[in-house]
This record gives sequence, C-alpha cells and structure tokens, in this order.
Amino acid sequence: MFCIAAFIVLLFMAAVSARYRKYLAKAWNCTFRRITFRPCDTTFKQDMKDHMLAPIAARRPGLVRPASIGLEVAAVLIILTTIWSGYEVVKSGVNLYVYGTCNKQDSASCSLGAEACSIPDQTPGFGDSLAAWDVVGAFGNEFASLGETFSAIPSRMQNWDATAYLPADATYLNPYDASKKTALEVIDPGCTYCLQLFNNIEKAGFGEKQNLSYISYPIQSATGYKFKNSLLVTEQLEALRLNPLEGATTPVDWAILKRIYTEKNDAGVSWQVSINSMEPADASALLQGWELEFGLSQAQADHVDQVAASDQVTQIIAANKKRVEESIHTVKIPTIIFDGRRHDGLVSVGDLG
Amino acid sequence: MHIFLPDAPGPSGVGVVKRAGLFGRGAAPVAAATAVAADRLADFGYLQPREVYLDAACQSLRPQPVIDAVNAYYTSYNACGGRVKYAWGKRVDEEVAATRTAVLARLGLSARSHAVSFTLNTTYGINLLLQQLPQGRFGRVVTSHAEHNSVFLPTMTAAKRLGVPRLVLDRAPDGALVYDPAQLERAIVVVNAASNIDGSTLTNLTDLVRETHARGGIVILDAAQAMAHEHALLRGTGADAICFSAHKMYGASLGVVVTRLELLRSLEIGFVGGGMVTDVREDSFDLVTDDPGALLEPGLQAWGEIIALGRALDWLGHVRPGGLAPHEHIESLSGRLFDGLSAIPGLVVLNHAASPVISVYAPKQDSHRLAVFLSQQQIMVRSGYFCAHHELKERLGLPPLLRFSLGLHSTSAGIDRAHDALARLLKGLS
Repeated sequence: MFCIAAFIVLLFMAAVSARYRKYLAKAWNCTFRRITFRPCDTTFKQDMKDHMLAPIAARRPGLVRPASIGLEVAAVLIILTTIWSGYEVVKSGVNLYVYGTCNKQDSASCSLGAEACSIPDQTPGFGDSLAAWDVVGAFGNEFASLGETFSAIPSRMQNWDATAYLPADATYLNPYDASKKTALEVIDPGCTYCLQLFNNIEKAGFGEKQNLSYISYPIQSATGYKFKNSLLVTEQLEALRLNPLEGATTPVDWAILKRIYTEKNDAGVSWQVSINSMEPADASALLQGWELEFGLSQAQADHVDQVAASDQVTQIIAANKKRVEESIHTVKIPTIIFDGRRHDGLVSVGDLG
Repeated sequence: MHIFLPDAPGPSGVGVVKRAGLFGRGAAPVAAATAVAADRLADFGYLQPREVYLDAACQSLRPQPVIDAVNAYYTSYNACGGRVKYAWGKRVDEEVAATRTAVLARLGLSARSHAVSFTLNTTYGINLLLQQLPQGRFGRVVTSHAEHNSVFLPTMTAAKRLGVPRLVLDRAPDGALVYDPAQLERAIVVVNAASNIDGSTLTNLTDLVRETHARGGIVILDAAQAMAHEHALLRGTGADAICFSAHKMYGASLGVVVTRLELLRSLEIGFVGGGMVTDVREDSFDLVTDDPGALLEPGLQAWGEIIALGRALDWLGHVRPGGLAPHEHIESLSGRLFDGLSAIPGLVVLNHAASPVISVYAPKQDSHRLAVFLSQQQIMVRSGYFCAHHELKERLGLPPLLRFSLGLHSTSAGIDRAHDALARLLKGLS
C-alpha cells in the first residue's frame, strides 16, 4: 500500500520538481510489482518510510511506531481517495459526453456543460445513502447510475432525427414547411434558460429555417415541481394543441410561450418570472385572458380549461415525460434536437445559425 | 605540520540533544557539536562540527595534505607519466616512483623482490591476478567463509577458469585461517588480512604463507582493511601478492597490487595495453621486462591519485594524534567504541574484541532504519551485509547489520555521541 501511495504522491511531486523524478521510477517499479501481485521491493518502502520518520526519531524515538502506523493509514487513505477521484473523473467525463453535464444528479452545478435547468435525480446520492447507513444502496445506486450512463453512450452517438420524438399533437412556431428540416426543443415554461434559448432562436431566425416544435416538460423536484406553475402552463399548452384555433398564423400555444419568454408585465417584470411566483389560480386566469386576447372565444377558452384538467392531457404529459427521460435521455432543460444532433442546455445564436 | 587540538571535556552529556518540543530547534546541539569537533585532527578541519563519520572501512576520509596533493597535480603539473619528456611529466614520474617506493617501505619489502602496480581498487587487483594465473600449475583455490565479495566472487570464477576445486575454510574467532596443511597442496590461497566485518586479523599469516609455499602454492592477501592501521601484520610478509585500496588508507580512490616478481612473471597476461609493451608488430608484441609492475597496468594510470597515495603514506608516517602513533590512537578509540556498544541493552555485538571495525545488530530493529535515523543526527554508519553476504546472510543467517568503523579523523566525543544516539534510539523504539 505504502509504495502505491508513494507513487501517487510522487507522480504529482515529480511533475513540478525534478528532485523527485529519480524516486518516481523506483516507486513505479514497486507499484508495478504490487499491482501484479508480486512481492514489493521493500527496500524502497522502507527507505521512504525511514526518511520520513527520521526527524521524529531524532527527537522523540518513542513516537516512531505511532507515526509509522499513521503513515500506513495515510497511505491507505491516499489510495482510496485516488481511486475514488479516478472513478469520479471517468464518471464525470462519460456523463459530460452523454448528458452534457459532469454531474448527472444536478446538471446545473457542472460548469463544464452548457447552462441549463437540471432535472434532479431523485435517487439518493452516494453520500446520502452512506449517511443513512445504507451501504448496499449507496454502491447499488452508484453503479446502477453508472451503468445507465454507459448504456446511453450509443444513443449519444446516433444521428438524431427530431421527427422521431415529435408528439402526435405537435405544433410549430411557424407554419409547417415540408421543405425544411424539423427541430424539436424540450422546454420547461418556467426555466430561465428556455427563455434565453427562445430569444436566441428568435435572434438567429431559427424558426424560419426549421420547423420548430417543442415538448413541454415540467421539471419535477422532491417536493413537487421546480417551477410551481410549470405543470399548469404545460396542461394549458397541451389542451390548446388538442384544440387548435382555426386560421391562427401562430398557434395559440406558441403565442403563449412567446409571451412568457419574450414579454414583460406592466411592472417591467418578465412574464416568466411573474408566472413562476403567481398563485395557480392567478396564473390560470392570466393564461385564459391571453387565450381570449389571441382569438379564442370565452366558450373555447372554457373548453380548453376543461381539457387541460382532463385525463387525456395528463396522459399526454406522462407520455412526453417518458419520451424525454427514456428516449431522449436528457437531464438538462432546455434540450434541442436539430441537424442530426442533440444539444443539451442553452445553445448560442451562432450555433443556431 | 599536523595540529592536534586538546581533548574536549569528557563524554558525559556529550551528544545529549535537549529540545523544547517535538520540532523545537534549541541551542543544545551546539555544545555537543563543539565537543565532537574539538579533539579532531586539524587535517580533517573541513568536517562540519556535528558530523560523525564512522564508515572508514568503506572509505577513509582524506586529510587535507592528500587533498592538496591531488589539487596540486591537477593545477600545477597535470601530465601523463611514463611517456613524456617535458618537465611536468618528469615530475609525475618522480612522484609515482616515490609512491611505489613508499608502498614497499610501508610493507617492509624490497623492489628487488616485489613490484607495485596501480589499478582501480582491491577487487580489480585481485581479479587481475586470479584471471591471469597460469593454467595447470595450481591444484585448488582456497579461501574462507568470512571474505568480502572482492575475494569470494573472483575465487569462484578463477576456480572455474582454471578447472580446479575451490575450498572454503573457516576462520577462528581470532581471525586465523583454520586449515589442514594438506589442504594447501598447490593451492591458490586468497584471504583477507583483516576482516571488514569485525576487524579480526589473519593471525596465522606467517604459518599460512610458509606452509602454502612448502606445498607449491601461493598466497594472495586482501589487505584492504589492514593497510591503514594493521600494516604491521604485513611488514616483511612472504605472501605472493598484497592487494589493497588507497581510499581505505587516507589516499584518493586507487587500487594497489604488490606482487612478488616470480608470480608476476608467471602470469599469462591477458589484459594488455599501452604502457606495458616495448614493441608492437602486426600480429605480436613484446612486454616490458625492466618494469614488472607495468604488467598489471594497461593504459594510462590515475597519476594524481597515485601521487596522493604517496602523500597519504607520508602523512601516516608522521601524524601523531594526541601524541600517539596512529595505530595506538585507533586502538584507544576502538576500545571506547567496543565498550560503549557492548553496554547498550538489546544490541548484539558481533566482535569478540575491540577493533576499528565493529558490527552490531538489534534483533527487534531494522539496521537500515537505524542507519537512516542516525544519519538524521549526522552520524554516518554503514548498514547491510557489507559485501559479505555469504558469511553474514547465508551462513550465519543474520539480519542486516550496522557497522561502525574508525579512522584517524574519529574522536572520542564523536564515538560517545554515536553511542548515546543509538542507545537513545533503541530505548525509544523498543
């Protein structure tokens, strides 16, 4: 153990100082013998330990034994933490490749990926499980998560076709044009990065270049929904998709999304921020008012309200949720599929152009 | 001129390091260090006050006059010897010749019967002789268990080359070779004159030489440990060859082979080169006849080191530490070291008697670790098997040892400090 730990430590020390490079080869020789289950070169181990303990021996020889034990314990800890660090690096790297975030449980916390609202993993983390004395669960969940990530690698490499993931009642920002390619974004009406993506889409004129559709995916949290009115808005959007307003240039569901993402209330506050903090009843009333403004009659608006509360919409939302989690495999909102690729998180104007 | 400073206060308290805390750095060591340095020969004044070098059996420290001699050669007359006509070269020749004479003088031998050759070290000298002994003349190779690898290994290869058996004999506790005279029949006897394990000397050297010669054999001595302080044993010896190292007797790094002319002329010379021929033709050459020592000196020699050996021999002849002859001074220090180490609880002393070379081990402690810990206190001792693996490891089954070996730079205060440090370590580690 000691020579392996010494190799790890020397690896870093040798990188910054030539003084330690001569020891590195010895440490590697010892480590290689150890990891190939052959007896280690005890001379190296002894030399290293003796030189580290010598200052103590010169002053308090009685402390050499406990210090020696301390060195062995430190060696074990160094090895364990190095193995764990290595594991985390590999896991984070694969997560970054597959999901666009190095932290699958909380994608927003990873600065290496694009900005996004994370879809929190409800499974207890390794530390949480250990804290609850659930050792089996800690390792089980950890490796199940890793297995899931590895199994998703092929999907990352596939050619992404947005039409394969379109909901049956899909609507488009602009009238559908068969000559254009189709793009699909997964959004949460309450997510600020979805707002930014929509603004980038507008700046890039992306909606004119592609047939842009969406899946509204209200992000769940441990206590409900990450943005408290996202489900309500999504229900309204799905109900409007089931009851499209004839003759509308822009579908009403898109008109509502556009207002949420691009306009402000009288107080100068973004409608998205405003809705996120509203009571559900107020939000529902606000949306019905917008529906009337966008051309629905009162009867049509009332009908939309009824449909929004129906099992049909619930089933559509559930089906969309399954599609997002099990087919698209994203953990970041927004996600947008276009040009054969899946883009997790916020996409810049340039990349959309 | 050699200055010997008066003895420092007695050993009581010397080397006891008192510090305020675990990592405290108090002034206490200064007093101890002063004591260590005070009774040291001024010729070793370059040593730092706290340094206690106790590995003279590996390589003795060089006194300042020897260092000066090497410097003078490199900076004043850096010429090749034996082949040039300019003034520097002539001076080199004179100095080298003087060194050969001084070597023979120290051994009480004559240039009419012996030649002095210079080489790399004792090991190389023994190999030069053994690997060039004539085929068919000898019936066996005889050595002892308590030999340095410089003897033990070449006797193996020599026996194989000559196609004769190799006999490994015991040494008595007093260092005498234990043999039956019949075992010396046409024998090549190769043994040490002084052990590098415990300093014991070949007390029956005279009888061994006589009886070996009586049976048509030869005696080659490894005198590496003897030449510095036990050379009296070798004076006027009838041994056929004496190999030693200048670096174990205050000289620079150099090997020396003193050989009887009969043996030298009987060698089947295989190592050849410049400096040992009088003429060279396309397919043959003539070896020198008037300089037999050159037969073991192929190629250019280490002129500066040879000259430094001459200076070391001169220094040894004149130095009087504490008004004593060098061997008397060493004897006094040896007794102090032996008594001190013998009194440390839990320490096993291999020596049967005091000697400039004392080997010990603590059954419950690793000697290498102890050496490192002592080194932290600037006390330099050797650990391991000292190239005597067969005797110590295979035969006696001992763990690695600690070896303390003295030189003329050693002081009583230094010995006390080493003793105190080891005693304190063993007490604390137990």
